Amino acid sequence: MTAERHILDSLSSGLLVLDGANRVSFLNRVLAEMLHATPEEWVGRDAEELAVVMARFAQPLAAPRFAWPDSFGSRDIEWRDAETLRYFREDSAPLVAEGSRAAGNGRVIAYHDVSHEKAVDRMKSEFISVASHELRTPMTSIKGSVDLILSGFAGETSPEMQELLEIAQKSCDRLVRLVNDILDLSKIEAGQLKLNLERLDVTEIAVRAICAVKPLADKSNVRLRVDRPQPLPIVEADPDRIEQAITNLLSNAVKFSPPKGDVVVELSSDENWVQCAVSDQGVGIAEKDLHRIFGKFQQLSEGRRRGGTGLGLAITRGLIDEHRGSIWVESRVGVGTKFIFRLPVAVPPTTGAPELAGKVAKP
Amino acid sequence: MKLTRVMVVEDDTDIQKVIRMSLKMRGVGEIVVVDSGTECIERLARFTPDVILLDVMMPHVDGYETCRRIKQNPATREIPVVFLTARVQKADRERGMKLGALGYLTKPFDPMTLHDQILALFPEASGRKEEKGTSAKQ
Repeated sequence: MTAERHILDSLSSGLLVLDGANRVSFLNRVLAEMLHATPEEWVGRDAEELAVVMARFAQPLAAPRFAWPDSFGSRDIEWRDAETLRYFREDSAPLVAEGSRAAGNGRVIAYHDVSHEKAVDRMKSEFISVASHELRTPMTSIKGSVDLILSGFAGETSPEMQELLEIAQKSCDRLVRLVNDILDLSKIEAGQLKLNLERLDVTEIAVRAICAVKPLADKSNVRLRVDRPQPLPIVEADPDRIEQAITNLLSNAVKFSPPKGDVVVELSSDENWVQCAVSDQGVGIAEKDLHRIFGKFQQLSEGRRRGGTGLGLAITRGLIDEHRGSIWVESRVGVGTKFIFRLPVAVPPTTGAPELAGKVAKP
Repeated sequence: MKLTRVMVVEDDTDIQKVIRMSLKMRGVGEIVVVDSGTECIERLARFTPDVILLDVMMPHVDGYETCRRIKQNPATREIPVVFLTARVQKADRERGMKLGALGYLTKPFDPMTLHDQILALFPEASGRKEEKGTSAKQ
């Protein structure tokens, strides 16, 4: 046995190497033990044969996958062996041969045990869910009482009292938004967001989002409109979550727009993507701040002043990522900002639905 | 349509008061407040409300179990149940609706519109044939 073999067998992760003809050229001891086999039993056999055996353990979350559309792939799989359930992160990359990574060289796939991280994520998520409930109970009493006093139900209030109560009301509403956002973000980060996927036209969702934001726009004297030069191809997405993403972008755009400014939702597409861009004519974002705009609690001072929670863009990015889309921002100080996201066009129904991450729940 | 008799099942006394005032403000004449699922079931033998506003997180018998018992009993199964709860996750809402609730409203709620939101859940009030759960708007 070579020294390299000893090293690779000593790893705590499972390791699999496939050659250019998709045959097993190497399998380390950890992975062999996961399969109740020896490495020798598998070397030289077809990867498809191995996939069938692995799928017995890896169901139901996701069967192992040895090829990705991209060069590199990573995802979490559930590994059930008798009564034991573990989680593995399956990382796949083209094999380096003669100094280059090429698809024809084969692939190297590693299986890292992430059961502990999953357990911690679950605990964190449960804690946030309980904390969210516990916070909502006193907030209900505070908000309810303040709203009732402001309505005049409990008698007349002086202008000073009115002003102070309005401050309390506004702060309470902000606290509610913050709790909602923290709950959403924790679910996204723990990979526990369940998407109810539907085949849909993003135009309808954009119109719904515009209706939701219209009262805020009217109050700020900002005009909203949708530009869609051509009909869009269908995407497979969760309508509520995409509406949430567009609403977040629109609310931000309205908040940062000057009076009589225009906020525009531009919808476009090509054969692979549906693109949605939300642009405003607001103050813009300095180039030095652009890199942190999607971070948590990374509000620029203007955002804080306007009552944001500092989590909206982090949530929006998380929601788009969950749909295997991408999001970015373009901005010029004094001219305006444009947030753009893309969602993959759905595969026609006859050829099967696109395979999203294993955490996706069908309705 | 008008709400005249409402049963509130809520274990937090401050929230009980806010709900009571909110409904009273909108002219609901008879408001019975109980603080547990068990008491709710007992009182339903003597009081038939237009709607039951039901919290979920309560000690001993929670709101889901209370709803299940209400819907299991032929004498009470026709009484509309609306959850009013701090449990805001989609799975919680689906669980509540599957138990036969008329609607699912979340806390914190707006006391100025609570009455109208409950009313809007009734098919006869909105002209809809089938009702779905909804959230209280902030």
